Amino acid sequence: MPIESRVRSRARRLRLEVDGHKVSVPAGTTVLYAAELAGVSIPSLCSHKELSPFGGCRLCAVDIAGIGGHPLACSTVVTDSMEVTTDTDGLRELRQEILQLILSEHPCSCIFCGEQDECRRSLTTIRKAGVTTGCRSCPNDGDCELQRVVEQVGITEIGYPITYRGLEAEHDDPFFDRDYNLCILCGRCVRVCNEVRGTSVLAFKYRGRKTLIGPAFGTSHIEAGCEFCGACVSVCPTGALAEKVSKWDGKADGVETSTCPFCGIGCRLEVAHKDGRLSSVSGALDSEINDGQLCVRGRFGLPEATHHYLRARQPMLRRGAYFRVANWDEALGEVAERLKQVAPDEFLMLVSSDLSNEGLFAAQRLVRSGLGANGVDSTAGASLPGGPGVWSRLFSLPVSIKALSEAETVIVAGLDSRFSFSVVGVQVRRAMREGARLVAVDARESNLARMADEWVRPEPGDEARALVEAVRKWPGGGTLAVVVGPRVFDCPGAGELVSRLETLAQDEGVTVVPLVHGANIRGALELGALGGVLPGPRPDEGRGLTLADMRAGKHPKVLYLVGEAPFTTRPDCDFVVAQDLYLPPFAVDAFLPAASFAEAEGTLTNLEGRVQELRAVERLPVGAVHGFALPDWKIFSDLAGRLGRSDLEYADAAAVRKTIRAEVSGFAAEGDRAPRRMAPAELPVEPAGDTVQGTGRFVLVPERASFRHRGIDLAGVVEGLGELHLEEGLRMNVADMTRLGVEPGGTVTVSLGSRRVAVAARPDPDCPRRAAYVSLIEAWGGVGGEAADPALELLSRLAARPVRVRISAGDRSPARKRGGAHVPGR
Amino acid sequence: MAAVTRPQPELDDLPASSPPIDPWAQIVQGFDGNRSDLVPVLQRAQSLLGYLPPDAVRRVARWLRLSESEVFGVATFYAQFRFTPPGRHHVRICLGTACHVKGGVQMLETIQRRLGVGAGETTADGEYDVERVACLGCCALAPVLTLDEAIHGQMSVLKLQGILDAEASA
Repeated sequence: MPIESRVRSRARRLRLEVDGHKVSVPAGTTVLYAAELAGVSIPSLCSHKELSPFGGCRLCAVDIAGIGGHPLACSTVVTDSMEVTTDTDGLRELRQEILQLILSEHPCSCIFCGEQDECRRSLTTIRKAGVTTGCRSCPNDGDCELQRVVEQVGITEIGYPITYRGLEAEHDDPFFDRDYNLCILCGRCVRVCNEVRGTSVLAFKYRGRKTLIGPAFGTSHIEAGCEFCGACVSVCPTGALAEKVSKWDGKADGVETSTCPFCGIGCRLEVAHKDGRLSSVSGALDSEINDGQLCVRGRFGLPEATHHYLRARQPMLRRGAYFRVANWDEALGEVAERLKQVAPDEFLMLVSSDLSNEGLFAAQRLVRSGLGANGVDSTAGASLPGGPGVWSRLFSLPVSIKALSEAETVIVAGLDSRFSFSVVGVQVRRAMREGARLVAVDARESNLARMADEWVRPEPGDEARALVEAVRKWPGGGTLAVVVGPRVFDCPGAGELVSRLETLAQDEGVTVVPLVHGANIRGALELGALGGVLPGPRPDEGRGLTLADMRAGKHPKVLYLVGEAPFTTRPDCDFVVAQDLYLPPFAVDAFLPAASFAEAEGTLTNLEGRVQELRAVERLPVGAVHGFALPDWKIFSDLAGRLGRSDLEYADAAAVRKTIRAEVSGFAAEGDRAPRRMAPAELPVEPAGDTVQGTGRFVLVPERASFRHRGIDLAGVVEGLGELHLEEGLRMNVADMTRLGVEPGGTVTVSLGSRRVAVAARPDPDCPRRAAYVSLIEAWGGVGGEAADPALELLSRLAARPVRVRISAGDRSPARKRGGAHVPGR
Repeated sequence: MAAVTRPQPELDDLPASSPPIDPWAQIVQGFDGNRSDLVPVLQRAQSLLGYLPPDAVRRVARWLRLSESEVFGVATFYAQFRFTPPGRHHVRICLGTACHVKGGVQMLETIQRRLGVGAGETTADGEYDVERVACLGCCALAPVLTLDEAIHGQMSVLKLQGILDAEASA
């Protein structure tokens, strides 16, 4: 629990004196925090505000009147009228001795180097050529708690023989490196993994001098079920754990609080920047949503997603056979010219639900008001299982992520929180620690099902009906939280489930958390950046082109893709404009470089309806090197100017928000992050049906791809996510694969009615028997011209909901018979 | 603790990285899934299997709803648990105070050179496993080691070589 909330709690207050400073603290406070409140700093390495007392480093020894020996400040609880002394000659000597013992096993040339003075002097000398910047032997140098404690305790040499453990540094797992030679066994990582995350991937292994930190049997973190949330890296006081991307960035220049741009939970971030570039990200201690915790994407994905070398940073135009760099004036002029000429019913803009509110609103306003067209759509339509109508009803319920941790009963359906919605998993496990009962409804053996008190395991693809049943069994009284994963709303019986959730949410003690992928998908719905939805949201009676029309073969003359690339080949249009961070994997006629989440101010709406700020932390000079990217709203504003519509121009992001407020009632005023309930509207609905269709022994269950940001697959730009191979191929139970005689990675043929698709199968230990899971790749563009697997694309087109299929070994697809490459029909 | 109703995990479907565990029912017999039973369950697993293979650790962890790392952390804290299969012959070398003074370390080094395995390990052919112990209770015979049930006292490197030669030719 953070220190502030401890102090604010209503416990009885006790008075004590620390080094003569009088202070009053609530009962239950430790001497260490009481001293901090009194303004007295006691050196300590193993204690951490978020973690339980440990008493491992023994540096915080103090003297307390009436207590013999040197009790530890971190694990001694304050009693009334306590008199604490923290700084005597004896204590100083004791601490120096202990610290020397710790350092005798910790490489510390950064602290005790004979050349240090000389080194510092030469580093400030003016030189002509190649600079030796001193030895940076540790990634934490200059930003290290151990160095600070050494300074505080004041030692200049080590009187003990130095031992070096000679352990091999571990670089095999993605995202962070581990060098346990630098580990001081403070146990913070073990405790954060256990107490805060509830995953317990890390443990103390062996004993005495051989003690090590890590998973069982020296298995990799991937195998051990690590969520790669980076909580251990954040709490490590040394350089033992260091994230790969920003390892050698050194001490950050500054930190800003921003919002995670990767999913609708809307976790708050502390974004560190160095030399005008985003360096690393950690969770902000915001008690409303994530309380300092993040998932793998938010913790490690941001720097690479915005700095990847394939990032396209200049406007480009097609001129005959050439696709060349242009300036903004030229590019906007050309696009505006095309927009002027196109007939309203021959234009379609596809806009990603990962854009900021400002971008989404300006996009649909430019099309609807500026061009008089109705052709606005988004792959978000496909990401909203059951259609926008269902979600406007779900978002009208009081959604609260924080309330999860306070519930007495938690029912979780269709959610594995290891890599997606991890923060929800953290809150659920926090509730369990407080004594909540967890009921998991999942055909897969998800990470939450594994630790549930009751695991209801329905047939694959039948979670919705099982969840209705589980909810019905709840006796009422007390508090209940229901968490519903995106997959569940595709299952038969989802219609009844939504009505049931609505009735349930009337109850005072019930919280419903419906989850869906897409960072600003609630914003897209509210601001009308979807087909058939106007800002509000209100139903749009006008009929424009949609993505579904394109799938059916009806192509617009001008196609404007904003952060979307839902095709593997160029669609059959006269003019294609792409506005994104990366070039799409097919030829376009104009490319407009958009600013990323780290380069422009803006807001995102999370699943609870909070409107939260995105901060621009990248401050690099505009030019050929760092590019000319502009915020999405700015590009739309400039285009409107060129179309002669000065009423659609905006001076800044705040001006866009002002216009939003005029049209969308209840849209947050500046600086207001309060959760809001959406007014339900009569919007399009796609009923999920009552049974799983098709014939066959297997159920093919589609899962909505979650590692997407705008038009890109994050696994393509974030190296570590690529290493995890999370959304590749058809995922099946090992026993089923053995029975079919298919090797891991071998080809199977999936037969849906008369269609046959050959695809690679991958063993998945969590998958139930007689089921296959596949990630829907509707909104997949890939990076660097690399197109998605056409077979998977076809499969996700055919199976938008759980469907019965036949699966056989080997390739029996028609493409194979023809002997040519298989091109999906569209 | 409230009654736990959950299907057994389908562990049979996992690729076996170590010999399959048949006596699973015996291991958990009489226990009702409380986390406080961890050490007794591990003890029974070891007495039935001879050691704690990764599969057993995983199964115990899932059954008690702990992580494998936690179970392994607890098991490695105690000297009584081993994680490699025991050999057909069991060598225990004493490195207690008396044996240490009289050269127990040289005995361990000799064994290591001869068998190619260190303390806590088993030879690749499954013939010998080596264990270092703190005292065998016969310090007057230091340095002392046991080979299966036989106690060999007042050892020297040569005597030890002789014993191993005799074993090898037997």
